[in-house]
Amino acid sequence: MSDIRMKVKNLKFYYTGEKLALKNINMPIYNKKVTALIGPSGCGKTTLLRCFNRMHDLYPGNRYEGEILLDGKNILDKNVDLMELRAKIGMVFQKPTPFPMSIFDNIAYGLRLQGIKKKGELQDRVEETLKNVALWEEVKDRLNVSAFSLSGGQQQRLCIARTIAVRPDVVLFDEPTSALDPISTAKIEELLVELKKNHTIVIVTHNMQQAARISDYTAFMYLGELIEFDLTDTVFTKPNKKLTEDYISGRFG
Amino acid sequence: MINIKAKRKIENYISLTLSFLSATFGLFFLFWILGDLFINGFKYININLFIYDPVPPGIEGGGLKHAFLGHIIITFLGTVIGTPIGILAGIYFAEYGRSSRIARVARNIVDIMVSNPSIVIGAVVYALLVLPVGHFMGLAGGIALAILMIPVIVITTDEMLKLVPQQTREAAYALGAQPWQVSFQIVLKAAKVGVLTGVILGVARISGETAPLLFTSFNNNFTNLDPTKPMASLTVTVFQYAMGPYDEWHKQAWAASFLLTFFVLMASITARYIIQRKKHQ
Repeated sequence: MSDIRMKVKNLKFYYTGEKLALKNINMPIYNKKVTALIGPSGCGKTTLLRCFNRMHDLYPGNRYEGEILLDGKNILDKNVDLMELRAKIGMVFQKPTPFPMSIFDNIAYGLRLQGIKKKGELQDRVEETLKNVALWEEVKDRLNVSAFSLSGGQQQRLCIARTIAVRPDVVLFDEPTSALDPISTAKIEELLVELKKNHTIVIVTHNMQQAARISDYTAFMYLGELIEFDLTDTVFTKPNKKLTEDYISGRFG
Repeated sequence: MINIKAKRKIENYISLTLSFLSATFGLFFLFWILGDLFINGFKYININLFIYDPVPPGIEGGGLKHAFLGHIIITFLGTVIGTPIGILAGIYFAEYGRSSRIARVARNIVDIMVSNPSIVIGAVVYALLVLPVGHFMGLAGGIALAILMIPVIVITTDEMLKLVPQQTREAAYALGAQPWQVSFQIVLKAAKVGVLTGVILGVARISGETAPLLFTSFNNNFTNLDPTKPMASLTVTVFQYAMGPYDEWHKQAWAASFLLTFFVLMASITARYIIQRKKHQ
């Protein structure tokens, strides 16, 4: 077992109107591993993911209970600086979300938020990041072109680049390939495996094969509860719970 | 059975005919006005119109330079004052005021403001600015026009910002951006074409106004570039000239009306074209 990077302790989450969406979740997130969250629609996996970077704080009335520890510190604490937290824990969304600016500026945006202003440094970081997501060769001659001119798969890799450009410790992925074709999906999956050398990754996916292919650990959730958490191999070959087995064998969900 | 079918066919036929006739009725007058303006106005457009101030009434020649310049200055003032306020208010409604009660009430007030008679706004500015200062002035006209244009810009900005996907906002927040950075650097940028269209619509709305200017910038027979003094405008001048007894005045009023209508029409068409394209993207 490797080191634990994050620890979810007795986490409960209420949406506006006191709707309980997460019921007492306890799980570890291991350092520089891929952890997949799987489960049927409405099971709370995206809700859990969005707790990790406090995305729920954008909408009034949402409430957390319990703790999520990152390097021993509770990120649900009221005093946590959300800007710092979100720089440490990045997020990639389901649909590509390029900003309405050039390819270069898309990646530089997060860096500028961090206070990096020098042109040379920005250029170096943008190039390095684009190489990391294997997009450099495709876009190096048109960095000043609008990011919307890229294909869907390229846009998603750009969004991943934008997220890792600020060098977060943890990267959250919310079904990053569900809007993409199989070839783009394969590229993103390769990239995810590459990224775990330097980052801790949590990914929500509807695609069980994807979870099996790329993740080291898998958490199976159902109706707001964590049913089973284990090594991906264990979850997919000899799960402990009947419910998990029913789900991964396609009997429901 | 057959009876019901026949009845429905007749009903359909009647309602189609009625709506077609109503549309034709409206369009007929629109094109009549445009045609009349073109026939009577276009031929009097000449260079003197733009380079000379008016000559004493009854004498041939002279131009409307004072009114053209005054109109541009007043419209410019209105746009410069109204645009930032309108855009900021639109951002507030779309980004921060989605759930608050005050915002809902304010939004209703803005909706009402759009159809507020412009002469009332002129009277308000007259009472609040012209009376205390003691004389008419171009700036007061600009302010009255700004108040007229603000609701138009607010509503378009609000609508256009709402078209920006929520995920784009979340992506910016997820990078650690502050709310104001998300609104100004991402959302406003994504909607900038639409917002600009709102501004064009606003300019089109105010550039044909006469009533609010009668109470505020009033009129001037000479070119005046100082906005703290009374200032001529095309609309007020057209009103004055059309009512006057001189042929020369009438000709110039026709020419000015044609130019003004043409400009407003072009601005509206441009704005609507851009909005349509934006919506279908």
